[in-house]
Amino acid sequence: MVDDQSVLGIPELDSELFAYMPPGWLGLLVGHSGAGTPLFAKQFAQAMVGSSPVLYYTTYERTEDVHRAFRDFGWDPDGVQIVNLSEEYFRNVLVHSLEISQLRERGLKLADLDGSRVKTPVPSTYNITSRLLADLAALDGRFRLVLDSLDFFFEVLDQSEVMTVVRQVRHRAQELGGQALLVVQGEFHERRVSGMLEDMADLVVELNARPRGESYEHTIAVRKIRNHPERTRILPVRMTESGLTVGAADPTSSPKR
Amino acid sequence: MATAANPEPADASGIRARCLTGIEGLDNILGGGIPRGNMVLIAGSVGTGKTTLCLEFLVRGAEKGERTVFFSVTEASAKLIENLSTFEFFRQDLVKAGGLIFIDVPGIYDQLGLNHEELTLEEIDLLLKTFLDLAREAGAQRVVLDSLTSVCYRIRRDERIRDFMLKLSQGLAALGCTTLLVSEIGQSAGRYSLHGVEEAIVDGVLLLGNARRQGDILRILQVVKMRGTSHSRAQYVIELTPIGLLMAPHLKGGRQET
Repeated sequence: MVDDQSVLGIPELDSELFAYMPPGWLGLLVGHSGAGTPLFAKQFAQAMVGSSPVLYYTTYERTEDVHRAFRDFGWDPDGVQIVNLSEEYFRNVLVHSLEISQLRERGLKLADLDGSRVKTPVPSTYNITSRLLADLAALDGRFRLVLDSLDFFFEVLDQSEVMTVVRQVRHRAQELGGQALLVVQGEFHERRVSGMLEDMADLVVELNARPRGESYEHTIAVRKIRNHPERTRILPVRMTESGLTVGAADPTSSPKR
Repeated sequence: MATAANPEPADASGIRARCLTGIEGLDNILGGGIPRGNMVLIAGSVGTGKTTLCLEFLVRGAEKGERTVFFSVTEASAKLIENLSTFEFFRQDLVKAGGLIFIDVPGIYDQLGLNHEELTLEEIDLLLKTFLDLAREAGAQRVVLDSLTSVCYRIRRDERIRDFMLKLSQGLAALGCTTLLVSEIGQSAGRYSLHGVEEAIVDGVLLLGNARRQGDILRILQVVKMRGTSHSRAQYVIELTPIGLLMAPHLKGGRQET
């Protein structure tokens, strides 16, 4: 029996696993290039639209591309709060760095230092951790959160800070019965870091794409389900008009997109 | 020909051109002013008149039509100017006319992103280049950095301070600037700068301090070192008056307590 509150968003996979993302859980989605990781992340997000607040944090896609991807598969982006952390980070932090680089390159002029004529760039107080945690703190009930991807946090924060963020997300999910899915690139992190993340996660799913003949064989490895090691497995996946589904690709058909 | 080390060489009589400080009594003590292009440390503890002396040095230069620049690290220039208005020698019109330019160094730090507590080598070079670029753009003949101590605090390592100061000295001298660097020292520091490196690089050291005599605290000035001129090494009493600094020999009569 599939529990509606625990679905991952891929019906066949939910049937196979008995929908194993219960409220209060933290999931880790490990992706590899070309394996459909961002699509899985969006499919997971849309599965709870209408049932609880859904927050989708992207760190590398344009907001309009996220919207378009939702619409392409018939999902409603308006039911998802899409937060573009990379755009915010650029606007608040990197723009200042660019201004600094320009000034360093051309050299300061007296006019640059005349407060009455020229605006001094104000160092940004933007903090990506605070941004995410403030949103979490504002929630007062069940939620579904996707962070695609946590790798960006590793780029701009110390590793220990990132781990603190992950712990806080997990704690908030447990506290409110929320579900959070964090996306990481499979090749991105050293083994120790991957191990720590997988330890904290209740569910670990890995998407792979391996060359086979003239195409790719896509698989989903359910590597960890807390307290249910018997449910771990590797399944073939394929892309359809309505998103990812479990099952071997039909060589005679291809998705419309 | 002018060189970085000696931008205004000695005239036919072998005497280097002088930069008159314009401070009552000081030019006499210095044998006719500071040799032009010299970099001089103004060392002293809190409240000894370092900043006032430096500002009067700039004002007197600006009054003669020289371009002058005050790099302020420790105090916002707006506040500094406000405090200066109590001195009759200070003229706001010199600021408005561009003869006396105040530059807030924290503004430089902000604009160039020099936010590390300890500056990297690259950042030190950038800061140095910026000081020289701004002095050049201003056409400065007199420059004050208040304080060198604050800048050196962020450079930290002796060898880097030495290198920074040598390049600053050569660069400003090449621009024809006579420069005063404020050095904050404790009452009983036993030296004239934070690291001890600074005083070895500069061309001159003016020491300001306090002396107690018969219950009064007197401000004292002493020229410890000045390359390029013969000078008195006697102590002089300074009076900070509305019309500027006044100097008189420090009479040793009475009971000296310090």
